[in-house]
Amino acid sequence: VKQVPAPKSKTGRLKNPFVKVEDRSRRYRPFYLQFHIFPALNYSVPKPCSPFEVEKKLPSAPKQTQPKQRNKPNSDKDCGTPLHLPQKDKKKRGYCECCGKKYEDLYTHLESEQHQTFAQSTEYRIVDEIISKFVYQFVEYKDDAKKLKRTKCST
Amino acid sequence: TAGMKKDIERLYEAVPQLVNVFKIKEKIGEGTFSSVYLATAQLQTGHEEKMALKHLIPTSHPLRIAAELQCLTVAGGQDNVMGVKYCFRKNDHVVIVMPYLEHESFLDILNFLSFEEVREYMFNLFKALRRIHHFGIVHRDVKPSNFLYNRQLKEYALVDFGLAQGTPDTKIELLKTAHSEDQQESCLQNNSTMPLGNGMSVNVTVPKQIAQQSASKPSDKKFISHSKIQIKEEREGKEGSVHHSVQRSVFGERNFNVYSSTYQQSSSTKVIKHSKMIDVSSRKLVTKKKIISTKALNNGTARKAASGCSLNLICDCYATDKVCSVCLSRCQQVAPRAGTPGFRAPEVLTKCPTQTTAIDMWSAGIIFLSLLSGRYPFYKASDDLTALAQIMTVRGSRETIQAAKTFGKSVLCTQVVAAQNLRTLCEKLRGTNSSCKRSQGEVPSKSVSESTLPTAADKLCAPDTLGKQIQHLKNIQEGDGALEMKAADMKGWDQVPDEAYDLLDKLLDLNPATRITAKEALQHPFFKDMR
Repeated sequence: VKQVPAPKSKTGRLKNPFVKVEDRSRRYRPFYLQFHIFPALNYSVPKPCSPFEVEKKLPSAPKQTQPKQRNKPNSDKDCGTPLHLPQKDKKKRGYCECCGKKYEDLYTHLESEQHQTFAQSTEYRIVDEIISKFVYQFVEYKDDAKKLKRTKCST
Repeated sequence: TAGMKKDIERLYEAVPQLVNVFKIKEKIGEGTFSSVYLATAQLQTGHEEKMALKHLIPTSHPLRIAAELQCLTVAGGQDNVMGVKYCFRKNDHVVIVMPYLEHESFLDILNFLSFEEVREYMFNLFKALRRIHHFGIVHRDVKPSNFLYNRQLKEYALVDFGLAQGTPDTKIELLKTAHSEDQQESCLQNNSTMPLGNGMSVNVTVPKQIAQQSASKPSDKKFISHSKIQIKEEREGKEGSVHHSVQRSVFGERNFNVYSSTYQQSSSTKVIKHSKMIDVSSRKLVTKKKIISTKALNNGTARKAASGCSLNLICDCYATDKVCSVCLSRCQQVAPRAGTPGFRAPEVLTKCPTQTTAIDMWSAGIIFLSLLSGRYPFYKASDDLTALAQIMTVRGSRETIQAAKTFGKSVLCTQVVAAQNLRTLCEKLRGTNSSCKRSQGEVPSKSVSESTLPTAADKLCAPDTLGKQIQHLKNIQEGDGALEMKAADMKGWDQVPDEAYDLLDKLLDLNPATRITAKEALQHPFFKDMR
């Protein structure tokens, strides 16, 4: 389990320029961002681009959406943790709200016993209740192509 | 596109009821939490109609799915709010069927709209917002890609209630279980909640009961509300760094080619990948939090530590440039943040726990700002505090700090930046103002999509304006504006009334309590003669 790094390491004075936000109740951790360069309006960026568009240094544009920053205040990471992006992943990773579980590969997770149990459970009656009120207004296509498709499906 | 065909096959397979009812043509959008397909269906009325099929990710909790459906059924289908035709389910696969509205890509048309079209656009956006706000729905993700616009038909549709939240008095029953997070405050609450998945297994079939239950059993309430927060946090994560991304709005824009006119072809794919990465990281965080929560529950010392937060440890760092182990050891405040960074209101960016429908009005203001300035996305920020800093450079640092006080936040900013005059700002950015064009030197060629060339319709312009236009025309010709000639005309942009900037000012009110409501906006003089 990766634990939140000790906040100690980042105590002291913040470097200019920065923005620091704290709840006036003083009951919560302040969060802050130290900028390399404070944002400024740039009128010479061509339309329709943002006037806050960062000058492009590299040809690979998407990188620029991630400015260097010392911390990512609103993540669960502690203040001072350098922003870390996971490696690109071909698999569909994510979080399942049904199982309350992180998964590495979506399709594997969907087929897991836990998820399948949930998928076939009565948890969805809240959805079905709403569906039951809809008026079905479709007519079936009598289409050979579709019938072919159907036989392909393992239903 | 073998991938797309495979996706369509998979969808038919997952929800076999679709097989003889829909001819699924193509995937028209893909987000982290759903994919949208264009399909045709034969209706009993005898017509064949285009439909949008929204396939939700099967990891969505039934409560979330039901809440989205309820928003569509109760508030939708009227006043420019997307409605729902039907819904299909097989196990965890849910497909929402909506009427398909052919729509423009905001970026493609932004600099070609007439001023009058902008007025109509905003009027119709406010109609939709008035409608959902009337039902106590906070949309949370108002942005162009979630507001479909058919320029020819002058049709509009607000879509995607996947992130919606209820106001305390919401009329959407299923959003009621979620609204209590507004009261979410103490550290103890944050740390003592159970892991999300189990939390969500609370019986939710009768939402009213939950509300009652939670009144008597506070733990249940926290349970639900916190779960909701976590879901929201991880949901919004995907937009984390792709400010102008259309990830969330799978029906909103044709994500595959939305950048076609401005960006290189491959960029949209990159954007999608990128946002997925972000999503993964944010989901991880949720899990981390979950682990911590569990620890806090099972371990006495951890529990003490958690409750230690409410001891209210004071240090000298407050409102200074310092941070110390005392303030940094306090727990983080939990506040809803779902949405897209560049469209988040200051109270969202600063984690104000009580957020209202006013956050949608701010977002509408950002859209208006884009329309008036010709810039999209207007704010380009990968994180909340960068977004806040950018807001300060437009609305003023002093003003932002002062407004934040009213909602309980101390904001410290080393940079003192003056508030901009909105008209000057927008005109400079749009380039309607020729003096600014000159001062900024030649406009880089090619990438500029100019829309401001004089046409016959502008013959009545004052000589002064005409002069500007000629200057402008020269500027364009010096650049590479030839291609843009056909779309170019002043179309009212030479005489934007003060009312426009007055309304913009009221939408971008830094104080959510005084920010204009949708109902009031529709009554604003900017829309006189439109009602």
